[in-house]
Amino acid sequence: MTFKLDSLFDSADKPYLDVNDLTLLSQYVSSIPERIAVYRTLRDQEVAIMQPIADALQQGTQEPEAKVERSVRHGLMVLRYVAMAMLLDDSAFVQGRLQGWLPEIVQAHDTRALDQQLFQLLDQQLAKVLTPAQINLLKPGLTKARDLLLGTGTSAPAPVPAEDLDPLASLL
Amino acid sequence: MVSVADLLVDGRLPGNYFAQDLYVRGSTELGLLENRRGDRLLAIPDPLLQAIYVGLDKETGQASKMVLYNCGRWWGKNFYARFCEELADYYSQPMASLSMAEFLQSLQQCWRTHGWGQITLDMTYRDQGFLGVEIAHSPFTAAAPNSPSPSGDLERGILEIFFSQLTGRELVCAQTSCTTRGDEANRFVLGLGKRLQTAPALVANGQSHQSIMQALVQQG
Repeated sequence: MTFKLDSLFDSADKPYLDVNDLTLLSQYVSSIPERIAVYRTLRDQEVAIMQPIADALQQGTQEPEAKVERSVRHGLMVLRYVAMAMLLDDSAFVQGRLQGWLPEIVQAHDTRALDQQLFQLLDQQLAKVLTPAQINLLKPGLTKARDLLLGTGTSAPAPVPAEDLDPLASLL
Repeated sequence: MVSVADLLVDGRLPGNYFAQDLYVRGSTELGLLENRRGDRLLAIPDPLLQAIYVGLDKETGQASKMVLYNCGRWWGKNFYARFCEELADYYSQPMASLSMAEFLQSLQQCWRTHGWGQITLDMTYRDQGFLGVEIAHSPFTAAAPNSPSPSGDLERGILEIFFSQLTGRELVCAQTSCTTRGDEANRFVLGLGKRLQTAPALVANGQSHQSIMQALVQQG
């Protein structure tokens, strides 16, 4: 677990939490009802949020449906992790679960261009169901996910594109 | 049209199964480390690995490479079965229908999470019938004594059997670079036995990965 407040609880061997630590804790605690409300909205409206995005992606591209479906799957996955990170107030959660995984899958399936559009459409959709203050709660996780998926600063070696891999079984 | 509801039939979106914070757990009151399925994991101290190399060398000398290689094959056979079983369970579909990208990404993450280093596949020589594998930060060769010949025999065994089972062909694996020789990573090449016949001599010659690959490719 990468929970940000873990570091507070880990420091039980220090004398006592100081004023700053306690302020941090009470800020988080008082934000929980709002966080749960946002989480509920995302959970209950998952399909309603994502279906218009899927339709818009499909209409705006010549890419095959399977690829659009891939991208939508990435979007659903990202939103779920971002929602959880928002609940925990810890964007490192997004990084921990997606790094070394989703960026490589995106590259292998070559959905980057679609994913880029998807993130824009997602912003528009979220603005319809959430208040600006609520969106702010999601921002850190969303930004991290966007950077991970679309960022160029990845040091990992480029994975092999999927079409190259499919004949692996008959390769040698 | 893409139906989001259809994508979410069972509500699950399988992701990074081997993510480190999810995969490694423990029942510390019993003194056990476990994976997320409850199978036992074991942390091996570096000095124990070093002791295995030293002990094998003392007792079996030249044969110790063969012993490690055979241990690797044994391990690889079981690793492959467990890896496939875990993924098939997690994705609720047979291994064969998993995309290659997901399969390989899972293998990389699995390797990392277990602390075996960073594994990557190199498809450069695919058309010539060779599959390259690179392992960086290997704890196994890090514990091995310095040597002019490659010492990743354990990994050579694992990879050979793993990819033989994956491709359904009897493959042979040769190590072409090694950290104990001063190379920056361990590199391996897999292929059919007859295509790799000259590899052991080239490796014993102390040639670099590049020139070994060149020679293998040129033999036609």
